[in-house]
Amino acid sequence: MAMSFQKPWFLARARRRFAMTRECAVLLPRVCAALADPRQPGSDDTCLEKLLDWFQELTLFDSTVQLVQDNPCLTEFITSVLALPEPSPSILSFTLRLAGILAASENRFQHLQQEKLLARLFGRDGPLNSAVWEDASVRSGWVQGVHNMMHHQPALHLLCSGGGIDVIFTLQGDPSLFVASAASQLLVHMLTLSVESETTKPLSTKDCDWPACAQMIIKRIEDSLQSSSASHIEQSLKLLTSLFGSCRATWTEVLWLGVAKQIESFLTEETVQVQHMLANLLLNMAWSPVFRDTEGSFWALVTSALEHLTPVQAGPLAVGILRLYKCPQDVRIQALTVLLQPMDCILRAASQPLEYAGLLDESVSDPVTVESLLSSRSSCANLLCQTLAHLEELLSLSRLPVDLPYTSLLRSLMTILQFCNGFLSPASPLGSTISRILINCFRVQRSALDVLAALSERKGSDTLIESLFDLLLAYLESPNTSPTVLKKTFQATSKWLVRLQELSCSNSQGQQTEKILEDVFLVLQKRLCSPCWEVRDSSLEFLTVLIKCLRDQDEFRQSLLSSEVPRLTENLLEDPESYVRASAVTAVGHLAFITYFAPEPPVVGNQYNKENTVAKLQEILSTDPEGFPRRAVISIFIKWLRQGCTGQLEDTEQFVSRVIQTVEHDLDWEVRLGGLELIEVFCSQTICQLGLPQCPYAPVSSAVTSSIHWNESLQVFCRAKLFSFLFRSLCDCDKPVGQRACDVLLGLRSNFYPVSTLEGSQGTGDSAVGHGIAWLQRTLRQGSLAQNFPTDGSNGVDFQDPENMMIALGAIELEELHDELNRSSDHVEKSPQSLLQDILATVGTIEENEADCY
Amino acid sequence: MPEIKVTPLGAGQDVGRSCILVSIAGKNVMLDCGMHMGYNDDRRFPDFSYITQNGRLTDFLDCVIISHFHLDHCGALPYFSEMVGYDGPIYMTHPTKAICPILLEDYRKITVDKKGETNFFTSQMIKDCMKKVVAVHLHQTVQVDEELEIKAYYAGHVLGAAMFQIKVGCESVVYTGDYNMTPDRHLGAAWIDKCRPDLLISESTYATTIRDSKRCRERDFLKKVHETVERGGKVLIPVFALGRAQELCILLETFWERMNLKAPIYFSTGLTEKANHYYKLFITWTNQKIRKTFVQRNMFEFKHIKAFDRAFADNPGPMVVFATPGMLHAGQSLQIFRKWAGNEKNMVIMPGYCVQGTVGHKILSGQRKLEMEGRQILEVKMQVEYMSFSAHADAKGIMQLIRQAEPRNVLLVHGEAKKMEFLKQKIEQEFHVSCYMPANGETTTIFTNPSIPVDISLGLLKRETAIGLLPDVKKPKLMHGTLIMKDNSFRLVSPEQALKELGLAEHQLRFTCRVHIQDPRKEHETVLRVYNHLKGILKDYSVQHLPDGSITVESILIQATAHSEDQGTKVLLVSWTYQDEELGSYLTSLLKKGLPQSTS
Repeated sequence: MAMSFQKPWFLARARRRFAMTRECAVLLPRVCAALADPRQPGSDDTCLEKLLDWFQELTLFDSTVQLVQDNPCLTEFITSVLALPEPSPSILSFTLRLAGILAASENRFQHLQQEKLLARLFGRDGPLNSAVWEDASVRSGWVQGVHNMMHHQPALHLLCSGGGIDVIFTLQGDPSLFVASAASQLLVHMLTLSVESETTKPLSTKDCDWPACAQMIIKRIEDSLQSSSASHIEQSLKLLTSLFGSCRATWTEVLWLGVAKQIESFLTEETVQVQHMLANLLLNMAWSPVFRDTEGSFWALVTSALEHLTPVQAGPLAVGILRLYKCPQDVRIQALTVLLQPMDCILRAASQPLEYAGLLDESVSDPVTVESLLSSRSSCANLLCQTLAHLEELLSLSRLPVDLPYTSLLRSLMTILQFCNGFLSPASPLGSTISRILINCFRVQRSALDVLAALSERKGSDTLIESLFDLLLAYLESPNTSPTVLKKTFQATSKWLVRLQELSCSNSQGQQTEKILEDVFLVLQKRLCSPCWEVRDSSLEFLTVLIKCLRDQDEFRQSLLSSEVPRLTENLLEDPESYVRASAVTAVGHLAFITYFAPEPPVVGNQYNKENTVAKLQEILSTDPEGFPRRAVISIFIKWLRQGCTGQLEDTEQFVSRVIQTVEHDLDWEVRLGGLELIEVFCSQTICQLGLPQCPYAPVSSAVTSSIHWNESLQVFCRAKLFSFLFRSLCDCDKPVGQRACDVLLGLRSNFYPVSTLEGSQGTGDSAVGHGIAWLQRTLRQGSLAQNFPTDGSNGVDFQDPENMMIALGAIELEELHDELNRSSDHVEKSPQSLLQDILATVGTIEENEADCY
Repeated sequence: MPEIKVTPLGAGQDVGRSCILVSIAGKNVMLDCGMHMGYNDDRRFPDFSYITQNGRLTDFLDCVIISHFHLDHCGALPYFSEMVGYDGPIYMTHPTKAICPILLEDYRKITVDKKGETNFFTSQMIKDCMKKVVAVHLHQTVQVDEELEIKAYYAGHVLGAAMFQIKVGCESVVYTGDYNMTPDRHLGAAWIDKCRPDLLISESTYATTIRDSKRCRERDFLKKVHETVERGGKVLIPVFALGRAQELCILLETFWERMNLKAPIYFSTGLTEKANHYYKLFITWTNQKIRKTFVQRNMFEFKHIKAFDRAFADNPGPMVVFATPGMLHAGQSLQIFRKWAGNEKNMVIMPGYCVQGTVGHKILSGQRKLEMEGRQILEVKMQVEYMSFSAHADAKGIMQLIRQAEPRNVLLVHGEAKKMEFLKQKIEQEFHVSCYMPANGETTTIFTNPSIPVDISLGLLKRETAIGLLPDVKKPKLMHGTLIMKDNSFRLVSPEQALKELGLAEHQLRFTCRVHIQDPRKEHETVLRVYNHLKGILKDYSVQHLPDGSITVESILIQATAHSEDQGTKVLLVSWTYQDEELGSYLTSLLKKGLPQSTS
């Protein structure tokens, strides 16, 4: 009896889209014949990949033999490729993968096996014993083919009985990384499938009766773990790592107990260097409830690993442990100690005799190990960068499972940064060695600044804030600071400035804040004039972030406005670099919020002229040769409009109208899209202000008043020349513009037409007054709405005439148009039929096209 | 033994996208970070998870180098640096840094235009990525860190394209990126000095082709455009904003000038100004002819080529339009194509590769009835031409570059396996060097024989010249001395000087060996017999019988004693210094054979 169940709508849609249509069924035999023909030049690899994608889709929800029965060309294709004396590697690889996809269901597997096709492809006498096996793509195709097929017991048996397991184990050491990794994944998959489909009773350590295939794999794992070959051990550890990462069934514990002793010995074993693999293995196990919830033994192993692995090896394990929700507290503390050890060592190295308390009372591993790593040129930066990255990861967690010593951590970070810019050269031998190594080390600077920024959000590290700003300012000022480090310094500074403001609100640190802000703006002035565009741009971005976060703070506004920063920012509107102009536009746009758009504009002369700025931005919008600044201007205008900064309705109407007339001819579709968003905001604000019932805040009005109101708002929209742009945009050559315009028009129509009226009028799609979708499609195909949409004359539509616009809104079937635009938003044809046609069409074309990438 | 490892994640036996990992003397470098335009899912990017199994990318990779601005070489860079999380240094030339974001932005705009596109970088990410780039000059040695240095060489191909030499200590690799060994209309030919790298990683797009002169292709192109315009037709040339477009613009501009043609030529995108701006800015990167002309007139200020307006497409009469994008899959070029496709007088010239699924790909493969959106059929009556102007070195060019650089090994990328195989054999035969062609994901390991510079003391050199042998680069010769390794430097000095410098006393090391001989005579008689025997055999050596009863042969000393337990057996003690090792061994073996009976 066939099973039937409800599938989500999107699956049904996908199935329709990728279905084997009659047209495809006609094309497929010719495509198969062309692919199997050795005289034809090889098909484009992307075509073969897409063909496999299609078969994957076709077979995903259909386990019947219908596909192979209705399309015998598929089995014929496999047979003919097998018969080729020297098949091309790419076609053979394709065939192996295709056969695997088809054989994924037991029914089709049996169907293909009637002619022993699968045994011939994947068995001993197949490609794996031919010369073409030398080609990595064939080996990869073989592994992927087997993986595709491996969903049922007959497939398992085919492989296990034919010696396939040995082949896959060998392939784990393949020279191709892709093949080796795929082979390892395949073994995990087969082991899971075997245990889960062939086990009849629950497995236990005492009564461990593995199914045959699983038994073979486990035996191989155990053997290789006991071998003396590091590569064999590594392969098995990798396999176990991905097994424990993907399978959380209880039988994994039974398997683990069989190998645990051996693996534990690797921690202390010096002859076999596989310790670096153990962190990942243990981490994946720690995520699995099978091991995580056990008492004692597993966590004892983790503790031992944290002790025995080198700090670099143990770092990822430590941070992983700290991310766990469930974990014994003593293991957490030990993991944290591993992460803090290098930071502790830095603190101790910097102060001798110890001025401050260190970070740790005791360490996990021998402190000498960390010291020697930090005092070696080759390992110092690596260990620090890794530790800092882990700390940043830890600080990004919303809930920390352990208490971090924030003040000491901050002090340690500051010490690193001081080492890096040469501000600190301690007397201690270790300190002086580390400081010599770290000087000008950009990598460490960047990592330390990232952690510094993250630390700003944690309370409890405020005592050092003054010296921290000294350090940040030193970085901002120093000519040695590289542009990438400077950007990170800006990010950290902005975060700490926000923190500083919070602090100054809660206590009386106003003067200190003012001084810091003054210093920051002084250095920002300098940076805004940097010859390096990256620095100017980062400076402007920094300024924008500051205004966004601190614009409500008096001290901030005063310091900023009394500095030269606003003037310099305006100057950068004419920067030669377009990225900088765009950032300047954004900064100037935000500056406006604290100058002329502020509730109480500052009394600082008349240098802040609103009209001047608006005119400048409009000039950029209409004349800047590049898209970024123009896009920035339209974004700022939208922001201003949203925040009600553009004045009364009349002023706003003129403003929007001017902007729209500028952007409607813009070559950049994102600017045009911005124009449509501006219209959308304007329309909703206008309708809201004039009190249509759709506005949630408007009073409910009677039918009479609302009709007057829509009339009024419609007139406003017509006067502002919005409709001309909206209707023209429907046939924009860039589809997102058309889609957006359609959305806006749909929104407007829903405002102006009550649903009942609309339902009545839709039937008159092709009537004398209305223009149905057929008309609009015709118009769209011709590419120019303006020519087909009569602008005046007896039977024309005037874009500025409210009555005509009402008719247009009601007559065009916008929903259908909306669907149409959504369906085909690009012209890269993705249908299977098109793919088949393309493969057939390329048969026999000149080869050179393929290679001629550029 | 030191080794260099190369693993292509892309461009290994294919031309899809370039991304090659190189490990050299403990440093890891990624060469190019390209995108495959044939896919619209994650397959378009290289699989970066293979770079390192453990640890962060930024800790593993020392730097990323981008050879030029084409997307199959730089398209995945913002994804890699802003989404995958690489935060280390990125190097490219100044023009590449300037032009890269234009192309990335161009492609992003087309891509986000499509439905269902996810996992793609934003404009802000492109900018943030470019801010991390360190721009380099040609022939400038850039110190990435204390050990790793890189140097860019001119590669032709496109504006700003460079080959890069990567050097750690005395080991080095040269990566060519895409290059062109013949100058074209706006760029010069690739050049590299005789840097003798351990490995040359070369592109091999045209590994088996000897390309016809580009002049012929240009003439053909002009002829076709001219004919179409003459008969009143319109010519559409779909291009990407930068690169090929500029080359073709120069070509048409000069032709129009020469032939005094009046039909308008339009460039449909606003990017042209910016593109031309960069060509002006980086004039030193163009070829000599353009540089010379620049003094009188800037080649990139076009007289005949005007900006295009959408309404122009409907104008009657002939015209030529350059429109983006280059594969006819969106935007202006597709819109114009749809308008003009139905007229057989018109022509579309595709100057580059098109991926499957695009209108460009379909018409190039000969399809003339295209199903456009809404199941409407567009019949293509206009002429369709494909013209390759891509500037890659052909087989001859690749061989020429190998001759120039004199590498110890060659590794081929960015080409098709079959063609590579052919070229590989040719290279191995002609240059007697190993040539490799790993597939994607395969690691090639090359063992290097590092040449270690050694200083020689003046005394030793004087001694050598005194013997009369003047140094000759082509004739390596053997020199004896003592090697002193101190403070990372190597010096060869005379043994005496070494002893003096290091404050050591000289010790004599002697090897001894006992040989038993059956001889009942007295000891001094046996010694005499041995002496006579050796004197007879070793005629060219100084064999002496000393008063104390011992024998010397050069530095070798032989003494005889009677065996304590058996007087009939004599024990010969042979001792020699290491300088006479050979003679000592010979003597011992000689004595072991016993003495001839007749010797008395």
